[in-house]
Amino acid sequence: MSIYKRAQQWTTFTRVWHLFDAKWQNPFESAKIIQKYLAGLHKPIYGPSADTGDHVVVINSKEIALPGDEWQKRVYFHHTGFAGGASWTFAWELHEKDPTLVLKKAIYNSMKGNLYRHTKMERLHIYPDANVPQEILENVTNQIRRPRLIPKRLDEYSEEEVEKFPKLIDYPEDYVIQKIK
Amino acid sequence: MSNNNLFLPVGFPRAPLANGVGRWICQLQRLTFKFCKNYPSSRGMREFLEFELLDFTKKNPGIVVYVKPRRHRAPNLTAEYLNGEKQIVDCRNFSYEEVKKWVSLLRSQSGRGTVRLLKMWHTDHPSIQGPWSPFVNRDPKLNWVEFPNEDLSQPIYIEKSATEKLIEIFEEQQRIERQPKQE
Repeated sequence: MSIYKRAQQWTTFTRVWHLFDAKWQNPFESAKIIQKYLAGLHKPIYGPSADTGDHVVVINSKEIALPGDEWQKRVYFHHTGFAGGASWTFAWELHEKDPTLVLKKAIYNSMKGNLYRHTKMERLHIYPDANVPQEILENVTNQIRRPRLIPKRLDEYSEEEVEKFPKLIDYPEDYVIQKIK
Repeated sequence: MSNNNLFLPVGFPRAPLANGVGRWICQLQRLTFKFCKNYPSSRGMREFLEFELLDFTKKNPGIVVYVKPRRHRAPNLTAEYLNGEKQIVDCRNFSYEEVKKWVSLLRSQSGRGTVRLLKMWHTDHPSIQGPWSPFVNRDPKLNWVEFPNEDLSQPIYIEKSATEKLIEIFEEQQRIERQPKQE
């Protein structure tokens, strides 16, 4: 192999670092997208054993949004292996303990259970907020688009915009509007 | 298929020195007919030498032909090629037609020997546009973007929300109301 061809091989198989902002995103929906980048499915040279996967840096995993009442209903099971060692943790409990775990498990479960799964998971870097170490962030050259828009809260609109908005009804005088802190 | 085929040298079909493109050089350089004058196993070979050999040499002046009679041994065809390869075809009990076919084969092949073909075609330039890399067709603007970037994070296709649809209906209603009524 000539020097030129070897360099060409390196360029083709270069690992790209992608960034994903998980703010207000459904982790199970995002997992399907992120998993493709980790496996390299977005590349034309993809092969299951060709090791074409990329790195994905996920930020703001603390602000993920589970659909419906999944925070209360979703349960993560763990068994220590000893008698009576079973434990069930609610999604909200797990999220309080480690705000990266719900997303991490969602991505892990979205992948096929084969020997490549651990290698692919090694290339996933999840951070609970936007504070990413410089040595990680400087590698990033691409951003993955989030599947959904971030909804805007009422208190985030200016008063002028609220005034201009067409009103369907007037609240009754004794109606108490809860203030968002 | 026997296992022997698995251990054949592997390769792609190719012509030595682009043979046949512009000019054609006969790769067969030397052909030796070895035969016996008495044995019936050489009969086909003897017939070939009698009826065909002179025509063959006239048609192929580039090939050196040796005729080597040897007593009481099986006949064979020994072909030597431009690339230094030597091929021997055992012609015991071959008929005249069979010898003719083998001579024709030895004359027309490149002398590379039998290879297991990995593909039925080969090209030195598999792609005109070159191999893909992550930097192909990449927007150069992305080179000076600072990450995380809010614009690049937005979804491309945004469906209209119910609120936006409601506002549209409202504005349409306002527009119709503002128009002078026809009576």
